[in-house]
Amino acid sequence: MEETIRIKGLSKSYDGKKVIENLSFSVAAGEVYGLLGANGAGKSTTIECVLGTRKADSGSARILGLDPWKDRKRLFEQVGVQFQEVNYPDKIRVKELCEETACLYKHPAAYEKLLQKFGLTDKRNAFVNELSGGQKQKLFIVLALIPNPKVVFMDELTTGLDTKARRGVWKSLQELKEQGLTIFLSSHFMDEVEILCDRIGILKDGGFVFEGTMQEAVGLSPYEKLEDAYLWFTGEEETDNE
Amino acid sequence: MNKFFTMLKTELKLSFRGMDMVIFALCMPVVVAVILGVIYGNKAAAPGAEYTLSGIPLLEQQVRREISNSFLEQSFGALSTIAICAGGVMGLPLLISDYRQKKILKRYKVTPTSPAFLLAVWVAIYAIYSLLSLILVFGTLSLFFGCRFSGSFGIFLLTYILVMLSMFSIGLMVGGVAPDTKTASVIASILYFPMLIFSGATLPYEVMPASLQKAADILPLTQGIKLLKASSLGLPIESVWMPIVIMLAFMVICGGIAIRFFKWE
Repeated sequence: MEETIRIKGLSKSYDGKKVIENLSFSVAAGEVYGLLGANGAGKSTTIECVLGTRKADSGSARILGLDPWKDRKRLFEQVGVQFQEVNYPDKIRVKELCEETACLYKHPAAYEKLLQKFGLTDKRNAFVNELSGGQKQKLFIVLALIPNPKVVFMDELTTGLDTKARRGVWKSLQELKEQGLTIFLSSHFMDEVEILCDRIGILKDGGFVFEGTMQEAVGLSPYEKLEDAYLWFTGEEETDNE
Repeated sequence: MNKFFTMLKTELKLSFRGMDMVIFALCMPVVVAVILGVIYGNKAAAPGAEYTLSGIPLLEQQVRREISNSFLEQSFGALSTIAICAGGVMGLPLLISDYRQKKILKRYKVTPTSPAFLLAVWVAIYAIYSLLSLILVFGTLSLFFGCRFSGSFGIFLLTYILVMLSMFSIGLMVGGVAPDTKTASVIASILYFPMLIFSGATLPYEVMPASLQKAADILPLTQGIKLLKASSLGLPIESVWMPIVIMLAFMVICGGIAIRFFKWE
């Protein structure tokens, strides 16, 4: 199978403290890969080193066969990114932000359609500031999809969304997956991971404690549910049953 | 090119909504022009208006009028740089560092855009403010205070663009390399206020004591204003090359540093 993301021996430390260490994994084309782990386990740092917004101390990252440092412009013509923190200028309207994003790409998707898909059409003239947390999150997913990407990176996909909104986002992503989009996401919600992901990697203290399919994860643990298996792998399972 | 204008259009709208440049780059130069006009201008400059300064012979009035007008006229070059100063040394660095702090630049980093493109868009915004201000200041001086433009308009405009690019490159450098918004705003203030006051942009160079003039000569904007004055009045300027070389050097060095050491985060 064709590899979309290939990571080899990625390490990064801040102020002498190792945040991720010797990470290697690959994601096949059309696959949905979930990066799991507690806050501070190194999920965001991993995504940033893969994307090249942080320079890894060692190791290599290739997305679609391209080096995010050397081939930045060519690569990001085909890659959509949604960062954990929302970042946009003050006093910008939804439509303007979409327009400004779309103009950077050679073959952008029609953002009006994406807004419609995520139920934001009636907010197109609203200021981004005035949107609710969930609406903002959806808008940033829209922005990640504007490049018409072959692969999207989503950091903390549905954090801050209510149940209905989360399901809406999942549904949209499943549709995109069916169309062959490769998705790399980080999450700490097991329900979301179970629904969306083909394979997962569980991070603890900057290294993988598990990498493979969810069935494998559950099979390796003494439990039957992914959530329990996840806690078992990360060593956060509750010892007492209250 | 379409990409450039789409971006410019939106960024310009955002800037207008922000209002600070409207105040500092568009309103302020006009206000200063009006103040100088009221102090130094001659109200009788309008054709046919009778204005008797008690007991002063008509001829002398004429002379006074000429003197005061030429004073205002030579201030035009200086006034036209207030917007350049506000946009280049204040607006640009604050915008860039604000975008970096808000992680907007980080988002741009994962798109196929380049620092040079983004910097060009921002330069264009403040260039538009400066040119608008130029028109407003000239309109004010010529309509209300009877100033005339006696130099070569082409040369003046070329000089204006040179001064603008040179000032803007300083701002780009500050915005490009300052670690955070706070540092950028401190550096911007340190550059902005002395330049605004001592380079002759607001306080006329001619009324400064000689020692202050010497100190002011160090500021790149002072050199720029000298060139602008000469070209707006159609005067020959000796050692015209020195200021031009200084301006160009600032442009190349600061602009180069801004692009070379541009930080997305």
